Amino acid sequence: MDHEDRQPHRIPTGHGDEVELAIFSPKMHQTHFPSLQITGYLLSIILTLLAFGMVAYHWMPMASLIPVILILAFIQAGLQLGIFMHLREGRGTTWQIPVLALAVSIGLGIVGFSIWIMMFKSGVS
Amino acid sequence: MDIKLWTLHLLKVLFPPQVLLPDIVAIDIGLTVATIVIGAYLTKTRKWGWLWHEWLTTVDHKKIGIMYLIAALIMLFRGGVDALMIRSQLIAPNAHFMGAQQYDEVFTTHGTVMIFFMAMPMIFALFNATIPLMIGARDVAFPRLNAISFWLFAFGAILLNISFSIGGSPSAGWMSYPPYSELLYNPGVGENYFLLSLQIAGIGTIATGINFLVTILRMRAPGMSLSKMPIFVWASLITSSLVLFAFPPLTVALGLTMLDRVFGASFFTLGHQGMPMMYVNLFWIFGHPEVYILVMPAFGVFSEVVPTFSRKALFGYEAMVGSLLAISFLSYGTWVHHFFEMGAGPTVNVFFGLSTMLIAIPTGVKMFNWIFTMWGGRIRLTVPMLWQLAFIPTFVVGGATGIMLAAVPGDYQYHNSYFLIAHFHNVILGGTVFGVLSGMYYWWPKMFGWNLNQRQGTWAFALFVGGFWLTFMPQYFLGFEGMTRRMATYPAGLGWTALNVWSTVGAFVMGAGFVVMVYNILWSRMHPDWDTTGDPWDGRTLEWSLPSPAPEYNFARIPVVRSRDEWWSMKQEGRTDEVKTSEATVRPIHMPRNTPMPIMLAAAFFVGAIGLIFGWFWMAILGGVGVVAALAYGSFADYSEIEIDAKKVLKTEAQLGRVES
Repeated sequence: MDHEDRQPHRIPTGHGDEVELAIFSPKMHQTHFPSLQITGYLLSIILTLLAFGMVAYHWMPMASLIPVILILAFIQAGLQLGIFMHLREGRGTTWQIPVLALAVSIGLGIVGFSIWIMMFKSGVS
Repeated sequence: MDIKLWTLHLLKVLFPPQVLLPDIVAIDIGLTVATIVIGAYLTKTRKWGWLWHEWLTTVDHKKIGIMYLIAALIMLFRGGVDALMIRSQLIAPNAHFMGAQQYDEVFTTHGTVMIFFMAMPMIFALFNATIPLMIGARDVAFPRLNAISFWLFAFGAILLNISFSIGGSPSAGWMSYPPYSELLYNPGVGENYFLLSLQIAGIGTIATGINFLVTILRMRAPGMSLSKMPIFVWASLITSSLVLFAFPPLTVALGLTMLDRVFGASFFTLGHQGMPMMYVNLFWIFGHPEVYILVMPAFGVFSEVVPTFSRKALFGYEAMVGSLLAISFLSYGTWVHHFFEMGAGPTVNVFFGLSTMLIAIPTGVKMFNWIFTMWGGRIRLTVPMLWQLAFIPTFVVGGATGIMLAAVPGDYQYHNSYFLIAHFHNVILGGTVFGVLSGMYYWWPKMFGWNLNQRQGTWAFALFVGGFWLTFMPQYFLGFEGMTRRMATYPAGLGWTALNVWSTVGAFVMGAGFVVMVYNILWSRMHPDWDTTGDPWDGRTLEWSLPSPAPEYNFARIPVVRSRDEWWSMKQEGRTDEVKTSEATVRPIHMPRNTPMPIMLAAAFFVGAIGLIFGWFWMAILGGVGVVAALAYGSFADYSEIEIDAKKVLKTEAQLGRVES
């Protein structure tokens, strides 16, 4: 016997208590102007242009360029997650942490492994 | 005078000598005639409205699945013709069926079309056609996004396919490694077509991945816990997560190459301190998970087909899920095995060689699970089951030769030889294609409402599989004898001729198998064997509890799931009335409304891509404005839902005999 069978009062009947399509239940009818989102959007564009300019027009010496771009990247990622990816919303936050950790570890893994591979410590090439 | 010069210049750009070969011109004429005939037919029978309202603007996952399937079969034909051209060239030494440039274009298109425009849409066809039905949902989580995905794929496919008649085909192989894909060494627009078409289709693919992740995680019927999902749903969930993580590196690699070619950047160029090898690295960070994206749905299909046609529950459900998860995890740590020879060093190579061999373990687990499911079962040799039976030995050979290629010192001997070609055709054809064809035959009655003729299907199967073994077994030996991939021709006297002849004969037998398959589909359409039960195979999962094809809302009453093979349990326990509705319980159903926004958005992308391909930036900007306009229309002016009222639902269900008295 399945676990659910022992608690019959919890079984939905399928008569009117169906799961609705996700697109029909979100709360999209907001009344105020989305100033936060627009600020985030403009900030993202400015951060991207800054990074592009630093590389394309040599605004900075090579040694300080990479750390500065990395800092800009992390600020940008924070903006995206906080403003557009619903990270600050209460519902389901605990579930987002493992998923986020997975994404971060895959991202860092790709970067780390790529650096390792591209060092070319080869005896045979 | 000025206009005349300008027109001449435009004609030269659009029609360079490489697209004016007689065979290409003949195909152009044929395609033009076909377009006119189809257009005239649609006008004469007044079907433009039907086409627009029923298909082009639909957001119904079942119809989108059918469109994916048709597109994939057309692309299978195109890629298959390319393959036959390649094999015709190689049937004899010093053959001149094609010139070297055209040969390069043909094998590039063969690979690109088969991977991105045949295998991927075939998989998404199965996802769309079955996943919502299997989990007891009325549509996917984001129906409009689903249509956007399809149209982005479709316009991407059109873009790649027009390259051979307008502007010139890409010719740098399906991986498009620099420096050969660099503007300096590969002038013309062919490579731009490759980059932009994959970029556009790739956006659609990522969206599909997100869509099915959310659909499976959020929209399962009540009672269907993760551990009660059918394995095909598990495979789709894991495939979707692989898509989500694997496609962004491709997007980056293609985007940077585009910047190199169109805007004069030098990320991967030989000059200006570019790093061509970083492209190779990025491409395979995508490329290796991609092969698992291709094969996992096939594993899922077989895990549905085997229990159904053995009349037994799947052996080792938990092991199956665990091995799928293990494969998906390991598949991210193996990409260097595609370029051991780049010289990253022994430590790196050994690490990635070992991680590659590890994948054989979970894959072996799955093989034994399918065999043990069949063990002692009552096996019915239907067409889907035949494809499954052919898959096991084929995939085992492919896997074993994969282990040989994963051994680093060995790989130095046979990399980029025909041994490799035979290996990956063994796993991609023997795994993915056999899998999706099995799935196509299995779910065909559910998608269309009529069965495919078994005898013709068996013939198609026999020709295809026989031709497959005849094509690719000789290629292993060709590899051992030193024949490298992508050779446009070869001299006599190397001992390659006889093996090449056999391989070409096999390819044409496979072609015959495809022709029989198309005949099978057309014949079965003209002599329909209607599936009135909705359950032609005596199936086990929820999609077979529905009529074939399912009504637009799928489930009038969402089923409550109590066990893994829920429909099977319902039948065993006499609970099949649970899927019926009644006058007292019927409720109105909210459904997403059809919208022209997806096709508009994809068309705007298409216009922008043409602008970038030819370097007409005004047109690229026009396309970009079109994209923003389509998105704005979608956000502000697109009404997204309709309500099917209870009476209509009841009437439809009554016609299908699904109302409780």
